[in-house]
Amino acid sequence: MNLNTDGAKPIYIQISEWLETEILNGNFGYDEKVFSQYQLAEMFNINPATAAKGLTKLVEEEILYKKRGLGMFVAGGAREAILEKRKDQTLRRLVEEIVAEAKHLNISEEEVIRMIREVNQKGEGEEK
Amino acid sequence: MTTAVQCREITKTYKNKRALNELSCTIEKNKITGIIGRNGAGKTTLLNMIAGHRRVTDGEIQVFGANPFNSLTVSANIVFINDTMNLPNGLTCLEILEEGQNFYRNWDHELAGRLFEYFGFTRHDIHERLSKGKRSMFNAIFGLASRSPLTIFDEPTTGMDEAVRKDFYRALLKDYIAHPRTVLLSSHHLSEIEDLLEDVLLIKNGREHLHMPVSDLKEYAVSIQGSERAVTNWLGGKNIIARRSGPAGRLYAVVENTIHDTHIKEAREKQLDLSPVSASDVCVYLTDERKGGIDDVFE
Repeated sequence: MNLNTDGAKPIYIQISEWLETEILNGNFGYDEKVFSQYQLAEMFNINPATAAKGLTKLVEEEILYKKRGLGMFVAGGAREAILEKRKDQTLRRLVEEIVAEAKHLNISEEEVIRMIREVNQKGEGEEK
Repeated sequence: MTTAVQCREITKTYKNKRALNELSCTIEKNKITGIIGRNGAGKTTLLNMIAGHRRVTDGEIQVFGANPFNSLTVSANIVFINDTMNLPNGLTCLEILEEGQNFYRNWDHELAGRLFEYFGFTRHDIHERLSKGKRSMFNAIFGLASRSPLTIFDEPTTGMDEAVRKDFYRALLKDYIAHPRTVLLSSHHLSEIEDLLEDVLLIKNGREHLHMPVSDLKEYAVSIQGSERAVTNWLGGKNIIARRSGPAGRLYAVVENTIHDTHIKEAREKQLDLSPVSASDVCVYLTDERKGGIDDVFE
């Protein structure tokens, strides 16, 4: 992953989101040890304190748990928690943006829903 | 003890110019701190005081609990890298590294040798005859290899090309991870070093202006842009850091990030463009002496 360093999103949040995606993709299972702050710092060329902040965020959200002296591990229910969070925050925000833009362009709710369906069907067609 | 450097109201005057003006700051151990400021803000003067090369005119400075001026103990624990380093020309660069080994307790000669080779130095190189970029890189190697508990790099990348600069920063980070120590790094280009830093110390007019984790600095301010009237309304009561009038009645402003969801919603409804401000831009706006910007010169 390349970090987006233009300042739009804090690096530590990008680190925590990257780790979440790794967990969602199954690269880290329950009770499995994730990268240490120093490994993350080396991988992404960032200060270890920034990497630690990304890890701490996930501990606070109970996606990771800490074993003293051993490192950070994936908590039970981490996947569900991440999915719930992404639905609640990321997806909701995107929908809000769509709704605002539609309003701005004077496009009806029905038309927006129709567009979403179209994209969905197109996606399914490509998968087949 | 978690403090590496403590400055209490230090002032430095050269003839009748005040380079530092009652500056106070505390730098914690084993962090990489960026020293940021405009030209002439007092960065180099501060680093000179910390390294014990110059005496403070007034105030008190302590490095690892002792006054650094004329202190052999402090200087054995400090390396100060800058582009005016006086290294002997009677010795080859390789011999200078060997001398470093004699002076610095933690010196890693193997690392020095490997970096020396990687960056294309030869055993016959003389410091004075190196190109500007090469000389900077040699100084940087000296600074890295010394593994000093307090490692100071004052504008270390002057003259280095982009590939070498990247290599240097990567080398600094890797060696810091393996051997944590207190690093002070000054640069005009915060954007180039911000990912490497833990804290930022922003100096303005010889004083500490801001000192905070770089991650907080990135969330310190937001910018708002749109028609002058709508932006002015939106700005009501907020702490404005900068404002610039643009063409066609547009207004661009930077405010402290104390905004709430209602402000975001309001901005969106009024079709104002609300965006984060990068750490390096925050520093530029905070240290700007002039009201307005370069555009105003052409008005």
